[in-house]
Amino acid sequence: MDRRRKYKEIIIWSILSAAITFAVAFFIIGYIMLKGSRTISAEFLLDSPKGFPLGSSGGVYPAIIGSLAFTGVACAVASLLAVSTAVYLKFYCTSRRLYNVIRLVIESTAGMPSIVLGLFGYTLFVLKLGFGVSVLSGGLVLGIMIFPFIEVRVEKRLGEIEQDMLLSSYALGVSRYYTIKRLVLREALADIISSVALAGGFAMGATAPIILTGAVIYAKAPESIMSPAMALSYHLYVLVGEGAPLEYVYGTATVLVMLILAINGAAMLIGRMKRGE
Amino acid sequence: MDIIMQIEGMGVSYADKTVLSDITVDIYKNSITALIGPSGCGKTTFIKSLNLLVEDEKDGAVKGSILLEGTDARKIPREKLRSKLGMVFQNPAPFPLSIQENMTYAPRYHGVRDKESLGQIAKRKLEVAGLYDEVSHCLDMPARKLSGGQQQRLCIARALTVEPSVLLLDEPCSALDIQNTAKIEAMLKELSRDYSIVIVTHNLAQARRIADYTMFMMSGELVEFGRTSQVFSSPKDERTRQYIEGVFG
Repeated sequence: MDRRRKYKEIIIWSILSAAITFAVAFFIIGYIMLKGSRTISAEFLLDSPKGFPLGSSGGVYPAIIGSLAFTGVACAVASLLAVSTAVYLKFYCTSRRLYNVIRLVIESTAGMPSIVLGLFGYTLFVLKLGFGVSVLSGGLVLGIMIFPFIEVRVEKRLGEIEQDMLLSSYALGVSRYYTIKRLVLREALADIISSVALAGGFAMGATAPIILTGAVIYAKAPESIMSPAMALSYHLYVLVGEGAPLEYVYGTATVLVMLILAINGAAMLIGRMKRGE
Repeated sequence: MDIIMQIEGMGVSYADKTVLSDITVDIYKNSITALIGPSGCGKTTFIKSLNLLVEDEKDGAVKGSILLEGTDARKIPREKLRSKLGMVFQNPAPFPLSIQENMTYAPRYHGVRDKESLGQIAKRKLEVAGLYDEVSHCLDMPARKLSGGQQQRLCIARALTVEPSVLLLDEPCSALDIQNTAKIEAMLKELSRDYSIVIVTHNLAQARRIADYTMFMMSGELVEFGRTSQVFSSPKDERTRQYIEGVFG
């Protein structure tokens, strides 16, 4: 009888926590969107910020493009690094010690405060390598930030690949490299894409890593990865700091949240579509 | 009858654990050799060591001598050795590709580029595996959509695409129903005219039905090897008799 009560309590507690989490998420997103929706218009989405303080009229177009550019660079860099690392760790690394060292590095990177990553990027990419304050520098720092996030997921997925399939391929006299290229990556593709997209959403929302490395208060939509750019997250930070009208603040936040939700939604859809195949 | 493989004093270990020890046996050309024995006696490991696949697994090591058509298996480049010894696993493992791509996967890797030749190989081997008529209209379908029995026949056909001389099968019928098992058995009988087959099986009746030779293993050792009729009717070793009569196993 006592046991039954315990189960009941656990179930009630699970439902309650799920409800609280859902309510908080729903409230935040709903509140932002409700407040911001009045500002959203074609002009807001397609115009540059104007007025004084900057952003108190006009729109956020350059920041949207900038955010997409930062995220794009970050995803490209991080996915390449993360997939290669995961493949190496899963298929080639034979030394336990080396494996542990690499793991430690990945975990340390994941735990690094983002502003510290930003400072590191400022020193290395902006100053030493001479990339300047640019989409490239900012994207690289964001890439480092999301790399562990993608690596861990991809490595886990590669570990789930059926052993018999790999052995069948080796048994046909096919090399490990070809097997990975043609079978393993293909098998894991949907999950790789969805992890990269999720990580992209994470990168898009980050501000600290790009403050010193790529984002600026005002710029036109970036024409190359070597130019500095605006970013929605940083624009939001500036708007609040400068006391711009609240509707513009919420408008910017709404655009940012919607973009991230769209990316996450696409990630989930890709994953589900591929799994339902 | 000609001998295609001579195995002498073969032992297999994973890290410090010995799985097979001192196995000496000959595999005869164009015949079916069944490998029987209780679970965990090393049957699968035995066939995985013939093509040195064990060495691709973590901490796996093979010692002793394995001769394929008189040549030391270790002296044959690994890729060539593997294509000489086709292998099919217990659970059908179709690649996440279309039926056609499953069939052209290995030939393409081994250098066949011409589309027509690839198509020919696929068609011929699917025919041999008795699958062509069933799938000829849907070669571009993902192979994983086939039924279990079809998948297993596809895997056998795929193993044949590299023109092996020996076919190693690890309980290929264990996950299949009677009809599919019968189809595969008939196919193996047919294949044994051109290939030498080693089949691991749990099913004693199956060994008796299709195999020319039978080897019985226990606890990592080869207990008995002989013509199937002899092994089943007058086993030399007491353990073989007990296993066949179902005293254990």
